Amino acid sequence: MINYVLRRVLVAVPMLLGAMSIVFFAMRVLPGDPCVAMMGDQATTEALADCTKNLGLNRPLAVQYVDYLWRSVQFDFGNSLRQGYPVSEYISRMFPHTLVLVLAAAVVAALVGVPIGIFSALNRRNPLIDYPLRIFALLGLSMPVFWLGILLLIVFSLRLDLFPLIGGGDLDGAIAMIRSGEVFTQPRDFLAAVADVLHHLALPALALGFTLAATVSRLSRSAMLEVISQDYIRTARAKGHHERAVVYKHALRNMMVPLLTIIGLFVAIALTGTVLTETVFTRPGLGKMLVDAIGARDYPLAQGAITVFTVIIITVNLVVDMLYAVVDPRITYR
Amino acid sequence: MSRQIRSRLPLVLVAVFTVLVALTLLGPTDPADAQRKKVLNIAAKEPDTLDPHSSTLGQSQAIARFMFRGLTRFAIKDGKVTTAEVEPDLAESWTLSPEGTIWTFKLRKGVQFHKGFGELTAEDVKYSFERQINKAPGTRYGVNLDVIKSIEVVDPHTIQIALKAFDPIFLLRMVGYQQGYILSKKAVEKYGEQFKWNPVGTGPFYFERHSPREKVVLKAFDKFHAGRPQIDAVNYFDVPEDATKLIGLEKGTFDLLYPEAVTADFADQVKKMGAVIDRRGPGGQERFYINMTKPPFDDIRVRKAFMHAIDRKAIKETMYPGGLARLASSCVPPGYFGHIPMQFPEYNPELAKKLLAEAGHPNGFTIKNYFISKSFFYPKVLTLAQEQLRKVGIIVELQVVEHATFHENIRKNLDPFVLYGGTRITDADPWLSLFFDSKEIPDPATGNKGTNFAHYRAIDDLLAAGRVERDVKKRAAIYAEAQKRIERDLVCLPISDVPGQWARNPKRVSTPFDPEYGEYSLHYSYNYPELLKVLN
Repeated sequence: MINYVLRRVLVAVPMLLGAMSIVFFAMRVLPGDPCVAMMGDQATTEALADCTKNLGLNRPLAVQYVDYLWRSVQFDFGNSLRQGYPVSEYISRMFPHTLVLVLAAAVVAALVGVPIGIFSALNRRNPLIDYPLRIFALLGLSMPVFWLGILLLIVFSLRLDLFPLIGGGDLDGAIAMIRSGEVFTQPRDFLAAVADVLHHLALPALALGFTLAATVSRLSRSAMLEVISQDYIRTARAKGHHERAVVYKHALRNMMVPLLTIIGLFVAIALTGTVLTETVFTRPGLGKMLVDAIGARDYPLAQGAITVFTVIIITVNLVVDMLYAVVDPRITYR
Repeated sequence: MSRQIRSRLPLVLVAVFTVLVALTLLGPTDPADAQRKKVLNIAAKEPDTLDPHSSTLGQSQAIARFMFRGLTRFAIKDGKVTTAEVEPDLAESWTLSPEGTIWTFKLRKGVQFHKGFGELTAEDVKYSFERQINKAPGTRYGVNLDVIKSIEVVDPHTIQIALKAFDPIFLLRMVGYQQGYILSKKAVEKYGEQFKWNPVGTGPFYFERHSPREKVVLKAFDKFHAGRPQIDAVNYFDVPEDATKLIGLEKGTFDLLYPEAVTADFADQVKKMGAVIDRRGPGGQERFYINMTKPPFDDIRVRKAFMHAIDRKAIKETMYPGGLARLASSCVPPGYFGHIPMQFPEYNPELAKKLLAEAGHPNGFTIKNYFISKSFFYPKVLTLAQEQLRKVGIIVELQVVEHATFHENIRKNLDPFVLYGGTRITDADPWLSLFFDSKEIPDPATGNKGTNFAHYRAIDDLLAAGRVERDVKKRAAIYAEAQKRIERDLVCLPISDVPGQWARNPKRVSTPFDPEYGEYSLHYSYNYPELLKVLN
């Protein structure tokens, strides 16, 4: 098992380097210059030349590339060209916002999607149940997150005034309290900060979670269908087990393997979804930061963000592979 | 036991989720203390820096005015703010030497910098200008101070600025705007590059904190030289989408909106919700420059045909119905010193076709790969123009690209005519110099990224003469002549003069100036944020 993990980590290194190199060159192949993007229509020739020099963009591309890789190895992703903040600091401030959004959306997606998928599979011969559930899944798949997001905002934020319109809540405050230990000395303040974060999180998590739930329900449905047609299920039923026991004890655990497989994919979909969700709900976060960075040709920030995304996806896939062994004892790694 | 827990897991998860949802519903709604504390909530885009000498972006310049001041300011005359005259601000008086090259400014005494950085002295003024002249990394406006030869501190409250030659617009350069802002020398030296997120000025509000991608928080400066502002704090939210800004204005989350673009729909919605739009001249001008060196536009008949084909009024009315903008009357906008009304070929497609035929294009021609920005007004104006040009046989095949790509491509001379916008110091000299001086002709071969997209060379002599002329009337005559030459050569077609516009909830915020052009400003925001008041 340890050997397997080590091997996977070693394979991840060239993958990461490859992704970083592609991003580095892709950003530079894109037409548009960071200085022009930054200075807009008020840029004079001299100012543009100065800006290019100050940002070190006048150096040969090969020099910039080697410099970038060398610094990245030392976890120094440089400074944002536009705002000057160190990229690592910037990302560490944005990352928690995206993380909580993805986690909350995953909870919503799992709580809504998995039961619907299973229920739909178990009642596949009852069109009154199966069809509406499948229509629900289709709706979720066809509904773009930005549309659903705006709808939720108009109804729950503007009309009913239940949720805030913008922002990510006092996440910085909550994290600072955890770090400083104030979470124990001032639990009320901490709870207030958490409530504020959840208050800001509810609508974005629902919007993103609901669109993801559709995918989850379809996949759970097909996973469950596959499992309940297996011989051991028939055997369990033949032994006279109650249907609930058959489903919970025999089918559910076995459908986890195909479900886990999609989690890796799911994280990638969720991360992509955060871009739109964060934009619609005007939330701070990595997704929106990445899109803005690409638009502004903020090379270091975009490179840093994509590196983080790559690391997340590689890690999640690795963890998922590890989990196979946990949910299915027949799988072992050597 | 563990099996039991496992089988109950879904139930536990549902319970936890329910509790969390309940918590969220019980959680705080909007900052309720805004009511008590007089908090002004502004929705704009996030500034890229708070160093006022460094950013050319509107949202950064707008917030700079809340924190910084200059030696002079735009004068308040008869209850209106004018960009044509200046009055003392951090300087209480000034004199000009007889030969016209040495300005002596007496500084107002007792002006304090934010956060205990001490009293404003002549050293700070000297430092603020010299860092730009010496092109400190990131500074953008040193070019506007190139006229300065040397700066001498006479005493802590007196500064003498020697110019290389007489500069007719020097007091305009000293307005608290871009290069004119005075920074604390001690603070810049202390924070270095991080001054951009630790700004220290003498303005009515001081910087409290920045939460990236969320907001910048400013607080009232008790020691502001003109008195503490009525507003206690300003939240400058990062809200990129105009639709979200409007929902926020209606909901009461925001009091002021700095929109990306004010469209008829935007104005309608603002009106419906009982809010107002504050319009500030001179604003930006949207105009076409025609590259007179690029065939077929090197033929003046084709340029004339182009202008006859464009229905300026229709474009202006479609983009900015009624009072949202004014039909542009000159290639130097009104509100700028030296502006005169110009004449442009009237809309006449038949005449345009005739001219094209005369120029050897009886069936018109096609412009392939015409690049246009996907942002701001660019794609909309260009689509309207495209349709009008099509009627006379000029087919424009659009390539809609990112704003940065557009800027890159127009400097490579890829577009034979260029749609452009913007605002400058309110004098014909800087304006005409940027867009019509031959030194500013963009050229990819030499790396020149200038903005003379017309590739015009016919007013270099006038620009040189204007820069040394001390007689105000003669200067005006010089720029009038320049505009006549531009009119003669048909290289510039202005469409709309679009004022700076912010939406305001009048039940929450008041301004002493008339919403309709009650103030002229170059700050992308209010000249005097300290005069804004939060009601109730």
